[in-house]
Amino acid sequence: MLNRKYAMLMSAGLLTFAMSGCTPNDSGDSGKTEIKFINGFTGGDGDYMTKIVDDFNSSQDTYQVVQSQEKEHYTKFKSGDYDLVVMHETNLDTYQKDQLIQDVGPFMEAAEISESDFNEAGVQSGSVDDKMFGVPLDIHPLTMFYNKDMVKEAPTDYEQLKQLGESLQAEDSNLYAFGLPSTGLTTFYFTVAAAQNGIDLAKEGYLNFTDSTYADALMQYHAMVFEDKTSPEKLGLDGEFQAFMKSAEDSSKQTAVTFTGPWYYQAVKEKYGDALGIGKMPTLFEQEATTGNAHTIAVAAAVDDQETKDGIAEFLKFMYTPENLANWAESGQTPTHVATLELISEDPEKYALANQNQEQLEIYEPAPRVYQFDEQMRYMNEVVFTKLTGEANLTKEDLMAELEKATKAAKQVADTQQ
Amino acid sequence: MYMTKRTKWIGFLFVIPFLLSFLIFWLTPLLYGIWISLHDFRLSVGNNGFIGLKNYVDILTPDTLYNNVFMNSLKNTLMFIVLSVPPLILISLGLALLIDNLPKRLKTFFRTVFFLSYAISVTAVSALYLWLFGANGGFINNLLLNTGMISSPINWTGDQPYAWFVIVIATVWWTIGFNMLLFVNALDEVDPNLYEAADLDGASSWNKFRYITLPDIRNISIFVMITTVIASFNLYGQSLLITRGGPSQSTSSLIMGIHATVFGNNQLGVGSAMALLMGLIMMVITGLQYWMSYRNNKEETESGKSEKKRFTRATNVGPTNVSSRPATTIEKKERKVT
Repeated sequence: MLNRKYAMLMSAGLLTFAMSGCTPNDSGDSGKTEIKFINGFTGGDGDYMTKIVDDFNSSQDTYQVVQSQEKEHYTKFKSGDYDLVVMHETNLDTYQKDQLIQDVGPFMEAAEISESDFNEAGVQSGSVDDKMFGVPLDIHPLTMFYNKDMVKEAPTDYEQLKQLGESLQAEDSNLYAFGLPSTGLTTFYFTVAAAQNGIDLAKEGYLNFTDSTYADALMQYHAMVFEDKTSPEKLGLDGEFQAFMKSAEDSSKQTAVTFTGPWYYQAVKEKYGDALGIGKMPTLFEQEATTGNAHTIAVAAAVDDQETKDGIAEFLKFMYTPENLANWAESGQTPTHVATLELISEDPEKYALANQNQEQLEIYEPAPRVYQFDEQMRYMNEVVFTKLTGEANLTKEDLMAELEKATKAAKQVADTQQ
Repeated sequence: MYMTKRTKWIGFLFVIPFLLSFLIFWLTPLLYGIWISLHDFRLSVGNNGFIGLKNYVDILTPDTLYNNVFMNSLKNTLMFIVLSVPPLILISLGLALLIDNLPKRLKTFFRTVFFLSYAISVTAVSALYLWLFGANGGFINNLLLNTGMISSPINWTGDQPYAWFVIVIATVWWTIGFNMLLFVNALDEVDPNLYEAADLDGASSWNKFRYITLPDIRNISIFVMITTVIASFNLYGQSLLITRGGPSQSTSSLIMGIHATVFGNNQLGVGSAMALLMGLIMMVITGLQYWMSYRNNKEETESGKSEKKRFTRATNVGPTNVSSRPATTIEKKERKVT
């Protein structure tokens, strides 16, 4: 009896142990070739990408796209279990140098897509050293939203914003023209200052911030806060968006305009309704330009069997048709696929933000192509912008010292490339 | 007890689950971590070969990329330990003492209430404290402004020392329940006769706490202190979500630094070396705490019968100061009668 008890105990233990090693069977039961696709669309835009994937899967007898939407999708992609990945343009250079992605030219050719199907900004967004490593999906530039109750027409330059700030300040000391964040979207603010001053930050493979003209441009941000009072100081994380959503009546600092990411469109639309205006990035510095980031679709370097390659081409062919890619535009993103842009123009109400942001594609400056772009920007994002918007006594000399530190850190990051 | 070969084997079978768990979840990851730290291991491209102690040298060489990350985040983490450990121990002990003196029904209720916050995720806690301490329109700022206590809003999460203040407050609120529960259980174990005897000898509340309660919960206090220091070393969620490591990387913790090195820079080898160094530092600090508490305990034991001595202290410094040794209740009664 005792033996039986021990035997049962052991069997149960072994079974539990053995089962702990099992994973759900994720191989295709349908006999279709699976394409494993990972992206980071965990917000509202995720549903629109899912619709494209689902539509493709229902149209297919041969291939099936298995989609994963993960917040840490880059980390998961590095595990090597995925064939397709949505990649930001700022990461293409790094992933190409680390040999994690491959040339998408042959896939585009098989899908009957060519570079001429995209506008110039799109082609640039997917290129590394003049070769396509990502099929351009969209560009999400720094976008201007404004409150029509406070400003009737979209401001186009800094002078107009300054005048707006002065009139708002005269009305209520908690009202400002726009807000500069302490941290958050500061990469876009750094790159737009460079683009609007015609400065190329990339030098010899790393980001060099020590250009005196660039320091002057950044000091203009400081002046916007502490001299012109067009922006409140110390707004904190994502302060540009938060201040646009606040109300001066609640003793909060409120702005009439915000320069932020287009992904906040649903939130600002919900708050302002018909009073919401959308415009292109005004000229804060010397010349018209906007920056931001772009999504592309990249293929894992490990993909080498013909069936998977054919499946990827088939999926790209399906996705890059105006009626399918328009789903993505509906999420607020702006595709760079010319035929889709034409479709969007026909229905500006349905694709309000994408349609408005089309204008910005002409003045869009891609981010510098350097190894580990985000890591090279880390010191600037975490230290420098906080000082620019928070330290009233900051001088250009102080700033230059910080820019030298940031450049040194960027060079050290660039040197980690093998 | 006579052990046959068979019973020995059966006994061994019962140990197997522990041995397997120990091997799989402790020893193997540790050895693998050490092995990775000795290689140029990238998260992106994998292992590029054995490089000996180079990762450790890079971390410990001043003014290198990894040295800056490690030293800055180590300094911040130590600062957090200094700021957070005292309130995490003292406030939880205070709460436990309050609860210990409540009627039984209320005791259960408040013990549950104070422990509830421990069950909340760090994301929810951080969201709550971001809303409370928001620089622009946050609840606390609005309250202080509307009551005229401040004339301009405080940048709670973007200026020091406020940023540390918010992180410490959030941590105390979030985790205090765990320490409190340990103290409540320890207080339950204190012999009530000691209090009764001290009461009869007229010892004050403070003296009872100092010479009866504290020595009796000494072991659990050491345990709470060691585990609180270890938990504070692992600061991550609060500083990531409330301050994003700012202002100017001043609240960036060791785990944040390791995370950035591994997942941002792809340097799994360097990150593993950082994690092992962090583990070593934690071991040294924990060892020191243990050694100091052991030494104090030994000194006390050697210098006399500790139980008797502390009772004597409690009564000697009490207002009546009538006895030099623990008196039984009967003796006291007799003394009163005479």
